[in-house]
Amino acid sequence: MYVGAIFFPLLGATISGFLGRWIGDRAAQWSTVVCMALAAACGILAFIETVMGNGATTVRIATWMNVGGLEVAWALRYDTIAAVMVMMVTFVSTLIHLYSVGYMSHDATIPRFFAYLSLFTFMMLMLVTADNLAQLFFGWEGVGLASYLLIGYWYEKESANAAAMKAFIVNRVGDLFFMLGIALTFHVFGSIEFDVIFAAVPQHLDTAFLGVPALELVAVLLFLGACGKSAQIGLHTWLPDAMEGPTPVSALIHAATMVTAGVFLVCRMSPIFEYAPTALAIVTFVGATTAFFAATIGCVQNDIKRVIAYSTCSQLGYMFFAAGVGAYQVAMFHLFTHAFFKALLFLGAGSVIHAMSDEQDIRRMGGIWRKIPVTYGVMWVGSLALAGIPFFAGYYSKDAILEAAFAAHSAVGMYAFVCGMAAAVLTAFYSWRLLILTFHGAPRADHHTMEHVHESPAVMLLPLLVLAAGAIGAGWLFYPSFIGAGEHAFWAGSIHNAEHNHVLHDMHEVPAWVPIAPAVAGAVGILTAYVMYMFAPAVPAMLATRLRGLYLFLLNKWYFDELYDRILVRPTLATARVFWKTGDARIIDGMPNGAAALVAEASRGAVRLQTGRVANYAFTMIIGLVIFVSLFLTGLAR
Amino acid sequence: MNWTLALPEIALACAGLVILLVGVIPGRNTFFGCTMAVIGALLLAAVLVLGQPEGTALGGLYVADAFSGFMKILALLGAALGLVLALDFNRRESLDRFEFPVLALFATTGMMVMVSANDLMAVYMGLELLSLPLYVIAAFDRDNGRSAEAGLKYFVLGALASGLLLYGVSLVYGFAGTTNFDRLADVFSGNGGVPAGVVVGLVFVVAGLIFKVSAVPFHMWTPDVYEGAPTPVTAFFAAAPKVAAVALLARVLLGPFGDLAAQWQQVIILASLGSMLLGAFAAVGQRNIKRLMAYSSIGHVGYALMGLAVVSDEGLRGLAIYMLIYMLMNIGTFAILVGMRRRGRAVERIEDLAGLGGTDLGRALWMTVFMFSMAGIPPLAGFFGKLYVFLAAVQGGFWTLAVVGVLTSVVSAYYYLRIVKVMFFDEAPAEGGLDATTPGLAAVTATTGIFNLVFCLYPAPLLLAAGLAAAALLG
Amino acid sequence: MITAAAFYIFAFVLIAAATMVVTSRNPVHSVLFLILAFFNAAALMLIAGAEFLAMILVIVYVGAVAVLFLFVVMMLDIDFARLREGFQRYLPIGGVVGLILLLELALVIGTWTTATEASDLRLAPNPGGGVSNTKALGQILYTDYVYLFQIAGLVLLVAMIGAIVLTHRRRPGTKRQDVAAQIARSGSVNLEQVPTGVGIGELGIRRPTLPEAPKPKQVEHADHHGGHH
Repeated sequence: MYVGAIFFPLLGATISGFLGRWIGDRAAQWSTVVCMALAAACGILAFIETVMGNGATTVRIATWMNVGGLEVAWALRYDTIAAVMVMMVTFVSTLIHLYSVGYMSHDATIPRFFAYLSLFTFMMLMLVTADNLAQLFFGWEGVGLASYLLIGYWYEKESANAAAMKAFIVNRVGDLFFMLGIALTFHVFGSIEFDVIFAAVPQHLDTAFLGVPALELVAVLLFLGACGKSAQIGLHTWLPDAMEGPTPVSALIHAATMVTAGVFLVCRMSPIFEYAPTALAIVTFVGATTAFFAATIGCVQNDIKRVIAYSTCSQLGYMFFAAGVGAYQVAMFHLFTHAFFKALLFLGAGSVIHAMSDEQDIRRMGGIWRKIPVTYGVMWVGSLALAGIPFFAGYYSKDAILEAAFAAHSAVGMYAFVCGMAAAVLTAFYSWRLLILTFHGAPRADHHTMEHVHESPAVMLLPLLVLAAGAIGAGWLFYPSFIGAGEHAFWAGSIHNAEHNHVLHDMHEVPAWVPIAPAVAGAVGILTAYVMYMFAPAVPAMLATRLRGLYLFLLNKWYFDELYDRILVRPTLATARVFWKTGDARIIDGMPNGAAALVAEASRGAVRLQTGRVANYAFTMIIGLVIFVSLFLTGLAR
Repeated sequence: MNWTLALPEIALACAGLVILLVGVIPGRNTFFGCTMAVIGALLLAAVLVLGQPEGTALGGLYVADAFSGFMKILALLGAALGLVLALDFNRRESLDRFEFPVLALFATTGMMVMVSANDLMAVYMGLELLSLPLYVIAAFDRDNGRSAEAGLKYFVLGALASGLLLYGVSLVYGFAGTTNFDRLADVFSGNGGVPAGVVVGLVFVVAGLIFKVSAVPFHMWTPDVYEGAPTPVTAFFAAAPKVAAVALLARVLLGPFGDLAAQWQQVIILASLGSMLLGAFAAVGQRNIKRLMAYSSIGHVGYALMGLAVVSDEGLRGLAIYMLIYMLMNIGTFAILVGMRRRGRAVERIEDLAGLGGTDLGRALWMTVFMFSMAGIPPLAGFFGKLYVFLAAVQGGFWTLAVVGVLTSVVSAYYYLRIVKVMFFDEAPAEGGLDATTPGLAAVTATTGIFNLVFCLYPAPLLLAAGLAAAALLG
Repeated sequence: MITAAAFYIFAFVLIAAATMVVTSRNPVHSVLFLILAFFNAAALMLIAGAEFLAMILVIVYVGAVAVLFLFVVMMLDIDFARLREGFQRYLPIGGVVGLILLLELALVIGTWTTATEASDLRLAPNPGGGVSNTKALGQILYTDYVYLFQIAGLVLLVAMIGAIVLTHRRRPGTKRQDVAAQIARSGSVNLEQVPTGVGIGELGIRRPTLPEAPKPKQVEHADHHGGHH
């Protein structure tokens, strides 16, 4: 069961990837779906077993490598945090596989798509069940690879290739820090097994590395790694571009699972982060900034998927600052509910795109809500959950995050609270802007497209409805165990809270206005959106011209891409050119007596010894023998 | 007497006799059938080795332990794969005489005797039983001047090496009074000083053995023989006998002479350094790919000897795992080299590979895998082979060895990558690409290639086996 | 006393003969000196009480090996002048290297110590208990070291295979007697009246017409059968 949850997706990927050509498209895609369903069943059973049954277990599969004191095993670590992730990943992935059957039905290389998708799921599961940092890194790189393959799935599209490259390279920057973090962990703790590390944390509180507390440094490096994968400010630029991939991919990878790997990492490593206050402050600050920053951009984007992508970015910021103030449970809770409603939003957007003949620009939509009522309905549910309207899933988690930030009683906590509140208003605003522009008003698409608008097939609607149910009920259902009264028994030590950390307790005792504030903020945002886009459509245009600077600033995503282009890409290219011109052309090629020539010279000398005459060879042997004998005798004399 | 312990060797030798008899009787050509039978016999012997209990037998001349088991399996596997390579090549070059597989079988028997030797006399007999068939198959293409020359050179120099070995053995016998490994070890473990005669005898023995592994300064035969011998023979030379000879060297040095490590260590270090340097530098200027592989194998032996020179559990384990990986890399590479034909004629220059990436992408990609693996680029198997010996060297404090090893592997990466460059970036010659490969070669290429690729995922069982082998020898 | 005298005489002749084997210019003389050396060695063995070995040495080495050498030497045309050419060139450095090796070996031999029981062992070649020389040898060869003995057998077998593989050729032109084919041939021999007084220049050489067309092929096939070794 434990093993099945992880390896069924790999089986599916193998069948579809290697045998897809022989067994045909249909067999390939359904085999992956069946494998995923089996994995999901195993995942849910494993979750029940772990949480309600016999607690955490570790399934050892095999020793991976054993190199000079570094012993690494393939093992599946099933504690609550992993079980939650496994359940969530397998469940959402199953739905998305199912949805893809409908969405990708016109594609030419269906087995390839499903193989990638299942491979991704396997890697993600490898990541969350890792028992040590090396296996986690294996999964981490694996999802990166699968993400690269899926973003560039339509490889004949120039922009898809570019986006895939960008995602890969930006992630590599994060991975570099992650690797440094692993190396430093090994240096400090002498092991990369989680059990060993976590047990040894108290002994290393005062260990310093290069004058900096080692734990802080490890935590910061790991967080920087997480930033890359989770698209936090600075390394976020790849995520919106990644929307070049097929929509189910965006839903699975860039909303529900892979991008949350960073949050998972921080929660998994909570025993270290708990003792690294500075690192936590950095996490909080970066998370809060991202939450606000991405929300502002989301307000002016016009591509339906990009809006949701920035929203994802923003919600990831929420999760990070929740973890940053010490409320890891809350972060995990938001991760969990977010997976449902964000996957729902993406798949809903996919359904809209499907209906609109692959149109993605919301300025060319509108007036279609009667034609696709089910999609419209589930988009509402998703948006309500995202905006944190009471009793939807997002309400419980987002509320808890903001309470935790408030209850942290620290400067960064307060900063996070303010940013979070502002972002909550903006979130509600752009969600309804999206809804209104997409579904209401006069149709802005040409009538040819409008005639073809149709509801998606049942195989796509079913996952939408299941996810909608999740977006409504997941928060209410899991609130008590994730962060409520049963939290301690539920997590069973898989998340560590230091003794000085009372935020989980304090967040229930904040002033009465705090729990209400997010809902009010959401309502304000919704109302604003209605006023601006439903009742007075002139206002946005007027604002855009009045505040042209701000509008452009937001529309160009705070000029991050331009900034990177200016300070990183161009200087790199320029330096490369300099190196090429002077370094390669002049120094390497211009100095024939360089290292290469030296090697060639040595080679000629060595070859000259090889005369081809047996007598010479025998003579060489005898000389060698004499040298050896002399060496021995002198060695003996010593 | 307990002769049943030596069942693998006995079974293999008997199978050889039967195959010889069966092969000679019918009027038609029995090359294919005999080769298949020999491969079957080799695999049967491998199975018998797997089921072999441990212990000494045959009056203390023969020993079976985890180390001999590991190395025998390697040698048998290498020999069987080497014969698969010969199947098609020999038929096309009209070398398809049934004596070829039979000779290879007897050579393999010699390897097994060597690996299991527990007496200096058994060492010598095993070595001769290995060498004699090798001399013959090196000259197997007797109408080709280069092949005949290769056989003759190998024979003359091999005889010299055998003479040195025998002289050393008699010196050791004269001064220590016995040739049995266990009793030799007893003699040297006493706290009395070691007679100079034993030490000098040991040098001669080491010289004779080092000749077989083709380490500097006894490497001179290698390039000429590798180039001259028919390609499958070269493949055979580069794989199984080398494994057996390295294993024998390790057994002789660490078994009876283990207490003299301080004396012989210097020599092995010197041989290792020399081999690494020569292997790296001399190969750079080569144009013939078989000659290049000869220098490459000299270099690889240098790395393997590094594991022996550090005299530690890790070192020996590194050596065992290195030989395993080296053998499979080499067989894979040669599976491609054996299949290098243009319009039916065998070609063997590096330029002949030009444009292979365009004409036969699959083969070019496998070749790339092997070249990267040889160069030690992670995550391919070759990287791990080097990693383990380097780690052992560093742990043992042999910094010079480790540093020279890293530097020479950088230099050698140059010529491995040059082959990759030639395959993918050079224009195919006007007369067209290489001929299509045969199913047998393709199967060997793919098997060894996949091993090189996936070794990193699950090396544990092989590491465990190598560790057990090392522990058996060091006790 | 007489034993000692005989030993020294035979030993001296043995060494002298061995020196002559290496130094004599005529290879045939070398081989003859070799035979002399064998005889003297056999005599030494007789003195030591190893009569079986002595006889074997005479029979095998003198009777077979040395005679074979003689054949080979006489058949091969060895140009000694050319062989010495390289010798001259490498003499200086070779001499130095050889000298060093010699010194080192002398150093080693200098440390030789003889076991106390060595002289007794030397004079008692038989294990005692009435076991004959031959039986003792057999005991060692076929019981104690049967493993090595068998391997030696394999080595010899391999040598034989190797010699055949490398030298045996099936020449296309060679004719062999094929008894079966000869017997099977019927009706091909017949008398023919030839006009007398006519020269061969006019008639030509008359050959019997072959009864079956595939005849030559069949001969070759049969040859395949018999002539493998």
